[in-house]
Amino acid sequence: MRSFWPIYKRELFAFFVTPLAWVLIVAFLVVQGMHFFIVIDHLARQVDIASDETPVRAFFGNTVLLYLVLFMLVPPMTMRSFAEERRSGTIETLMSGPVSTAAVVLAKYAAVLTTYVVMWLPTVLYLLILARTGALDGPAAAGAYLGVLLVGAGYLAIGTCASALARSQFVAMIWTAFALLVLFLIGMGEFVTREGTTFHDVAVHVSVWGHMNDFASGIVDSRHLVFYGTLIVLPLFIATRAVDAWRWG
Amino acid sequence: MSNLTKRYGARVAVDDVSFEVGRGEVVGFLGPNGAGKTTTLRILAGVLGPTSGSVTVAGHDLVHASLEARRHIGYMPEAVPLYPEMRVVEYLRFRADLKQVGRSQRARFVDEAMDRAGVLEVAHRTIDHLSKGYRQRVGIADAIVAKPAVLVLDEPTAGLDPNQIRHARALVRELGREHTVVVSTHILSEVEACATRVLLIHHGRLVAQGSTSEIRAMRQAVAVDVTVRGNVAAADAALRSTPGVASVERVETVEPFARFRATFDGALSPEDRPGATERIVGVMVGAGLGVSEVRACGGSLEDVFAALTQDPGSPLG
Repeated sequence: MRSFWPIYKRELFAFFVTPLAWVLIVAFLVVQGMHFFIVIDHLARQVDIASDETPVRAFFGNTVLLYLVLFMLVPPMTMRSFAEERRSGTIETLMSGPVSTAAVVLAKYAAVLTTYVVMWLPTVLYLLILARTGALDGPAAAGAYLGVLLVGAGYLAIGTCASALARSQFVAMIWTAFALLVLFLIGMGEFVTREGTTFHDVAVHVSVWGHMNDFASGIVDSRHLVFYGTLIVLPLFIATRAVDAWRWG
Repeated sequence: MSNLTKRYGARVAVDDVSFEVGRGEVVGFLGPNGAGKTTTLRILAGVLGPTSGSVTVAGHDLVHASLEARRHIGYMPEAVPLYPEMRVVEYLRFRADLKQVGRSQRARFVDEAMDRAGVLEVAHRTIDHLSKGYRQRVGIADAIVAKPAVLVLDEPTAGLDPNQIRHARALVRELGREHTVVVSTHILSEVEACATRVLLIHHGRLVAQGSTSEIRAMRQAVAVDVTVRGNVAAADAALRSTPGVASVERVETVEPFARFRATFDGALSPEDRPGATERIVGVMVGAGLGVSEVRACGGSLEDVFAALTQDPGSPLG
């Protein structure tokens, strides 16, 4: 695992030295800024606000904007990880060093996850603004950020896996977007299936939408934690095997 | 490296190859394109796993103690892949860090590698903006940065201009003083220029190995091209009567010159061939013809391979 840090640092360097990271961060913050404005403006116009509707809930839960942004951001963030190294051949020099495959996968994943966290950091300002103008629901905010972190971590793991499997960056991007969308749509099945059926249960269990609504209300369900744990570990494991398969193929 | 085999499905890329490389040797890995050189070197560098067989580097098994073994190898792939967005010095520091060079030594190791590979003057340039020759040298600097026991260089002169090729060969020779070097090439003169020992690989099999001088001895001429001025028929007859010449063919006639190819008798030993060439020139001059050009033909890699595959009892096989 000693090789983790050099690769992690190089990945972050590569990400922030190219315009891609900055373009993505700016796009993300513009959309989130507009989103925040809409939420606040909407709530401010309500004469009679339902007691359980707070800005934090409205910003993180029950909104499709959050997922739209993630669908757009995650695929370009992760597409390069392995596909680019394979295209340029640098994977060969990388793997000829004294590095373990697991360290390479984890370092690349940790780098995109760090970038993701950096993207979200400025949005903490919104909470500070809310806290200045009224009571901020602390637990809900903490839950919401935990949810954002877990959903992002799961999505980025899927993207990293796609990059390890795909032949090119473009294919990795398409596969990632496709996988995230399918996962989201299965979750949406909650609303179109009858309660009590197996599909309904499955849909509820994997519903990112439902999870985020809970997190944004400050509810941290251990089933959700297990689900995201799986969503992170499984793709990363497959990615490790895929990189190994390339070596032994 | 013993009994190494690499299969891709039904295709066998490397077939039961065994060899040993001692400390301080520069071994040339010679074979035509597609012979299995790169595959063998990739396995040697720990990038690919062998289908069967074993590789031991500095006492460490490359499959079972892979990380330990890889610490002793510096590898440069043929295409010299580099991260284009990094500066040369940044890249080499990253590689040194990755190869577990301690923090306190890193700057010194990187400086030494840049100095030896001759990239100090481009240390702060972005790799993206480097010429092919410099990229190649950055690749070599990367291979040597952690001072590994074994250097594996895959076609280090590919794509360079003649001047750069001379520099690269000199550099490989110099590296051989401190490292064990395995260098691959498909050019016969290249191994002669920088290797002390040669391994010949063909269709994934090791067909011969020997010292560079032994391989050089196999580079015998199979024919002589002579360009003469004067009586063409007389020249033809004189050539045919020369001892050691098996057949004569007129290759080209550009008045007033005619070019003949005199093919040696196959039974002629390598030591006698220069003598036969001298006789040919003597006979032509004796017949009153003007000799304007004499050139030995053959002795190419293909001829060496042809000789080896036809003659299983060769001294090198």
